[in-house]
Amino acid sequence: MSILATKDTYVVIQGGLAGVNAARRMAEFCYMNKQPLNVSAFVYPPDAGKTNDVVCGTELVPIPIYKTVADATANHPEINTSLVYIGANRAYQGTMEALDDPKIQTVSMITEGVPEKDAKLLGKHARKLGKTFNGPSSIGVVSAGECRLGVIGGAFDNLVACKLYRPGSFGVITKSGGLSNEIIWICSQFADGITTAIGIGGDAYPGTDYVSYLEMFENDPQTKAVVLVGEMGGDLEEGAAEWYGAKKRRIKLLAVVSGFCQESLPKGMKFGHAGAKEGLKGEGSARSKAEALKKSGANVPETFGALGPAIKATYEELLKSGAVKAIPDLAPVDMPRLPKTVAEAKKDGEVLVAPLIRSTICDDRGDEPLYQGYPASELINAGYDIPHVIGLLWDNRLVSKQEAEIIKRIIMLSADHGPCVSGALTTVIAACAGIGLSQAVAAGMIMIGPRFGGAVTDAGRWFKYAIDNKLTVDDFLVYMKKNVGPVPGIGHRVKSLRNPDKRVKELVRHVKSLGMKTPHLDFALEVEKITAAKKDNLILNVDGTMAAVLVDIGFPVDSLNGFFVLARTIGMIGHWTDQKRQGSRLIRLFDYLVNYASPKRREVPKLK
Amino acid sequence: MAKVLEGPGMGLLRKWGISTPNYVVVTSNEEFEELSKVNDWFKKSKLVVKAHEALGSRFKLGLVKVGLDLAAAKSAVKEMLGKQLESITIREVIVSEAIDHKEEYYASVKSTREGVDVMVTTYGGVEVESNWEKVKKLAVEIGESPTDAQLATLSKDAGFSGDTAKKIAEFLKKLYTCFDNEDAQYLEINPVVQNHSGDLVALDAVTLLDGDAKFRHKDWAFPFAAEFGRAYTTNEEEVMAVDAKVKGSVKLIEIPGGNIAMLPAGGGASVYYSDAVVARGGKLANYAEYSGDPPDWAVEVLTDKVCSLPNIKHIIVGGAIANFTDVKKTFGGIINAFGEDLGAAWRSQ
Repeated sequence: MSILATKDTYVVIQGGLAGVNAARRMAEFCYMNKQPLNVSAFVYPPDAGKTNDVVCGTELVPIPIYKTVADATANHPEINTSLVYIGANRAYQGTMEALDDPKIQTVSMITEGVPEKDAKLLGKHARKLGKTFNGPSSIGVVSAGECRLGVIGGAFDNLVACKLYRPGSFGVITKSGGLSNEIIWICSQFADGITTAIGIGGDAYPGTDYVSYLEMFENDPQTKAVVLVGEMGGDLEEGAAEWYGAKKRRIKLLAVVSGFCQESLPKGMKFGHAGAKEGLKGEGSARSKAEALKKSGANVPETFGALGPAIKATYEELLKSGAVKAIPDLAPVDMPRLPKTVAEAKKDGEVLVAPLIRSTICDDRGDEPLYQGYPASELINAGYDIPHVIGLLWDNRLVSKQEAEIIKRIIMLSADHGPCVSGALTTVIAACAGIGLSQAVAAGMIMIGPRFGGAVTDAGRWFKYAIDNKLTVDDFLVYMKKNVGPVPGIGHRVKSLRNPDKRVKELVRHVKSLGMKTPHLDFALEVEKITAAKKDNLILNVDGTMAAVLVDIGFPVDSLNGFFVLARTIGMIGHWTDQKRQGSRLIRLFDYLVNYASPKRREVPKLK
Repeated sequence: MAKVLEGPGMGLLRKWGISTPNYVVVTSNEEFEELSKVNDWFKKSKLVVKAHEALGSRFKLGLVKVGLDLAAAKSAVKEMLGKQLESITIREVIVSEAIDHKEEYYASVKSTREGVDVMVTTYGGVEVESNWEKVKKLAVEIGESPTDAQLATLSKDAGFSGDTAKKIAEFLKKLYTCFDNEDAQYLEINPVVQNHSGDLVALDAVTLLDGDAKFRHKDWAFPFAAEFGRAYTTNEEEVMAVDAKVKGSVKLIEIPGGNIAMLPAGGGASVYYSDAVVARGGKLANYAEYSGDPPDWAVEVLTDKVCSLPNIKHIIVGGAIANFTDVKKTFGGIINAFGEDLGAAWRSQ
């Protein structure tokens, strides 16, 4: 047996995210006890009509969300309890709504900082209706083996450690949420555990006092003793003392009260919970409460530390008198366990998962990414630069200083080529149409292909083919004409021998000045000599030059277009921000820029 | 609870139709000068000058001066403003009009579990302490209001008669209305006096409001004052500012003279930890508490403040079994701050 929260308790949770978290914790408790989830519905108007999926064991249970408590109880007639997780400024209305619902008998409120007047009105309304309003600021209620309302009891391991999967003999009533958990644990270690533990909340005027719950415990045969954890302030402990002393009670009462430190502090200094305040005339002090409880016959240990032994002594008396029988502990294998997530099982070495992808370049699982094993920040501090990162991520190696300089120059030379080229123009048109940065740049990027900027890889591939197969320039040109077509990397739309591309000249000059071996570049320049002699504009273009140089320093052919893509991204971002900065408007082509070559207007034939 | 200083407290009384003496709160001599030019009562009446800070025993400290003419008031303001009392500087002074009177009465309204108690006695002023049993009380249930007849009876029971009894009943009605509408927890008027035309005037007010109800009182533009007879310290104010910003709570109260610093978790457990220190003869240097799953940086700020307390020998960190606080995270905040603060302390040695 238990009180307030039982096997037959079904719950509606009023509120958003915090309520969903509570439901998750409640589901863990239900799973531990092999019970179905006792949360039937949520009330949260912004999400009405949707569901919250609550993890219950190995399943996700969809719990419907309603606009009103009435909707929830109409659809789930088993509901008899509401948990309030609504903010302090709206908690009053929400709680009234729950109290006024004829199906609901108990309302427990976790909300902190509820105005005192609201709490008092709610308490009075509940008493008038003969219902229980627990809280505000209540951590919840838990009945071992039966029901958990709210997050009381903490994490799953603690629920098991506190033996909350089966009832003991001790009731617990506390104002403090954290201490409720501590006392539950103490009861499970020094005695046989709890029947029900209730957090009544630390406010000055909680909706329900100790006496109401003491009465319930007195009428619950399973409960043999009750541990009451009080605080200075208010008069609830005095009320409990009066109740206990009024006549012979079946239950034993153990109590501690906090706030003795107050005696050695400046007067009026307020500690702890909102309700923990000594009265103006000294009433409600820890000492007067402890005295009252002692006088009533309750067992009042001098300190909190002595509570455990006192509980133990009480339990031993109960054992001796035959009022309780010792409950054998569960064997470790029978202890309830939550199903592990894949991540947890993996960590414990219990499961093998076939990976979905394989990565050889970067590991981000630590506190910073490792590029080929090198921490990014350490690379920076050691003086490495962007070209080295490119080397690590594109070719799995640290490039030399000399190679880094070449890569840097290639990127600088091809970062942009004005607004008229396909990529930049497309980005500009997109920017003028109000398209965002990443999409507009991606639109420009789509232009990179066989005719614009995308010839680097192909140029590299065929120059490499020539060198690998030791072809002469003539053999190469014959092979290309027969099997491939025009040589990628050769030819330019506007540049020619008489109007050379300065970027090409500059790059060639630099690379040649280094004294390194450049078989591909040399070959490409030989090809240019022949082709340019045939036609003025069949020169080695910037794609071809980059390709030859990058193959010379060892980059894989497939990565080569990446250099143009990377470099030109800089330019395209520039074009987009340029248009944005100017507030450019939508553009369209003028009619006169189109050669309308379609048929003139004519009769539409009859549809056959 | 949230204490409100006299100035804004009187403002709330006036809002609900209770007469108070004319008063101004000034923060500089120039302000006093300006106001004395435009307000007739500065010249016509005797004046009272009081330090407007959350201080106990202002009389003893010489921070209340009565029966002053304008010149004397001016020099009293000058003397009080900027005065240093331990950690507190007097930043505000309240100047009010003295009201000639014979009798002094006492009236208060106090929150109780069932509702409110309305209390009144003819033994006002300093006499109330020694005549507490003469105070007559009317208990009003929450959600109800006292009727005129009830208040009339209360006023007669307390020993008022004739026109005064009627006026006291009206006064109590206004006081109750103020209490109820302003989400007050305690209102005490001592003394209530009759001015020369026989009207009741509230000469001094103790006002405690429910800080949790601030969300529905947009006109509470005043700051809340510390309730323990001194103003908040800079450390306390900084922790309060963090507390106001975060989920969960962080709290700090400094206790001068102690040498054991406290850094426990939980509103309930923190007090038991403090009790345990006191029970063993220790002297607390502070009260602190964090709870409700606060962010690690908030706990780090609190830890910093605790570490900065003067003359501390020990810092006690503890708590109960957490319900939903991510203990790994909150301890992360403590460890970060310890790392920095203890590191700094070692380096300085």
